Amino acid sequence: MATNNLEESEISFITIPFGPQHPASGHFHAKVKVDGENVVDLVAYPGYLHRGFEKLMEYRTHVQNTMLSDRVCILDPFSNEMAYVNVTELAVGIEAPLRGKFIRSIMAELGRILSHVTWIGITSMALGLESGTRISWGDREKIIRIQEILTGGRIYPCYYVPGGVRRDFSQEHIDEIFKLLDYIEKAMKLYDDLVFYNTTFMTRMENVGTLTKEDAIALGATGPNLRACGVAADVRVDEPYDGYPYVNVDVVTMEKGDSYARSLCRRGEIITSISIIRQLLEKMPAGDFKVKWAMTKKVPAGEAYFCCEAARGELCFHMVSDGSDKPYRVKIRGPSFSHALAIFPFLVRGSQLADVPAIYWSLDSCPADMDR
Amino acid sequence: MSLIRPFSLFKNLFKKPMTLDFPFESLPAVEGYRGRQILDLEKCTGCPVCSMVCPNLAIELVEYNGKKYPQIHLGKCCFCGLCAEYCPRDALHMTQEAMITIMDTKEAVYTPAKLSQTA
Amino acid sequence: MATDKLEEIKTAVESRFGDSILSFDTKDGRIVLKVSAQASHEVLSLLKDLGFEHLSDVTGTDYIKDGEFEIAYHLWSHAKKIRAIQKIRISRESPVVKSIVDLWPGAQIHEREDHELFGIDFVGNPDLSPLFLEDWKEIPPFRKDFDTREYVKRRYYGD
Repeated sequence: MATNNLEESEISFITIPFGPQHPASGHFHAKVKVDGENVVDLVAYPGYLHRGFEKLMEYRTHVQNTMLSDRVCILDPFSNEMAYVNVTELAVGIEAPLRGKFIRSIMAELGRILSHVTWIGITSMALGLESGTRISWGDREKIIRIQEILTGGRIYPCYYVPGGVRRDFSQEHIDEIFKLLDYIEKAMKLYDDLVFYNTTFMTRMENVGTLTKEDAIALGATGPNLRACGVAADVRVDEPYDGYPYVNVDVVTMEKGDSYARSLCRRGEIITSISIIRQLLEKMPAGDFKVKWAMTKKVPAGEAYFCCEAARGELCFHMVSDGSDKPYRVKIRGPSFSHALAIFPFLVRGSQLADVPAIYWSLDSCPADMDR
Repeated sequence: MSLIRPFSLFKNLFKKPMTLDFPFESLPAVEGYRGRQILDLEKCTGCPVCSMVCPNLAIELVEYNGKKYPQIHLGKCCFCGLCAEYCPRDALHMTQEAMITIMDTKEAVYTPAKLSQTA
Repeated sequence: MATDKLEEIKTAVESRFGDSILSFDTKDGRIVLKVSAQASHEVLSLLKDLGFEHLSDVTGTDYIKDGEFEIAYHLWSHAKKIRAIQKIRISRESPVVKSIVDLWPGAQIHEREDHELFGIDFVGNPDLSPLFLEDWKEIPPFRKDFDTREYVKRRYYGD
């Protein structure tokens, strides 16, 4: 670093805030210490979205908690509902009927596509590529419209219950889903031209924020961030749940571990999700879609632990029950907790100031998931 | 990688825009959308199931015309639809009305009289 | 087979630590072991050498009737595809335990969160400053003797 023959103690660094407004970083604040263009240090100040969900869930019954667990991660609500519902079923020892499991997996994959399309939009905005934001958020509206038709809610679907789902699919709903899948496949060509193989995007993302395999595992990376470093770890394949044992999941891995590899991993996941939904719709069985669950059903004393693959990584719920109808302790392991608070400060030291948003958004951290 | 590929965006100049001219145009309402609640005063018996199942304690039972009816605080309501789903007499339903504007928090409390009327 | 791998791990751990392992359960393909608090760091180090390289979470639970905190370490092995959960119990009056940042650098942030929300002291963690809450003057909020609804009424509704 250029110091012009000054003593270490005579250099004064400037501190710049990164966030907490939306265009920079979402609801996450960090102080970046810079020396000219080089970043010396970064200190994170989370907590803007801390609502204390784990304590709030101790006052409510299991059906009420499922409606509340939507709000833990706003950009990917289906994964939190899926994890809560499955951990409750594990604690009681019942299983949802097969049609209910298939419907849950289809909605979870739609939620994953929605999260990745939103990610394309926000990353383009952070890098200055405004057209990418406008186009992808227009496509996002089509996916939210399907959620409105199927579940009754646009952003907070409140669709799963312990024992199945609240409503069934009809034949018109299935036709709408097929039309949406064709539309997204056509839209991927425009995203390739505009974002993924655009010279400006590639120059800003290649060889920026490179993470080695050993560092990624030691710091707790999961999801596309880990798969971009060459580790083929995916909870849908390693510990399959719901409808995933019945389909073929294509896990996308890259080798280099830089920001561009993470972006290409997410692009590959959209294509994998489309193929999973098609396979599930083809094999969908007829029958019941839920098992009866009383309003104040008691869960026997014990513990249960369940992991699912959210759009951002591995999402785990640990539930302890004491025999009543309310949980004794619920612990939520959000995937963005390690990404934003352990990996992001580690990658940013020693890079340039203009790389800070590129690294932050390529890790795809959701502040709501981090603070809970 | 190429500098010409992003220019395929120019095709969009000749297409209809994605946006709608709200409030003059809007998307058609969807059946099954979870808007605010509507109460049928004949069928309701004042059993407290809706008040017990609400996750946010937004429903209270009050006296109206000699019987007990639910009163809903829409500021606390999360529009999950559990009250309508668990009502044993099928007296509470979710409508498609979602554009509600209030100027004072006291107007957010919907008394049984207001709940039984459509907008 | 999967059960052979579980048996190998059980033999390796029990033969080295004997009495410190209070129970070792292998139901449903997962390992759940209860360990005494003094041997916790060494058992985790052995598990890391046996292939459990990914630390998911460090969880705290408040058992107020027993007068103890329970800390659970959730581990996963990418190569063997097995999940292991190690649990230890420490006293509620003076909750002190050795930190594991020398084994997994990513554990630093999980321990900082548990320190703020439960009051557990992790010896050896470089930074235990408050994470989410600012100017917090009450007891650590996730303990069972802290009532959220009563606090909200008192602080925000004034009566």
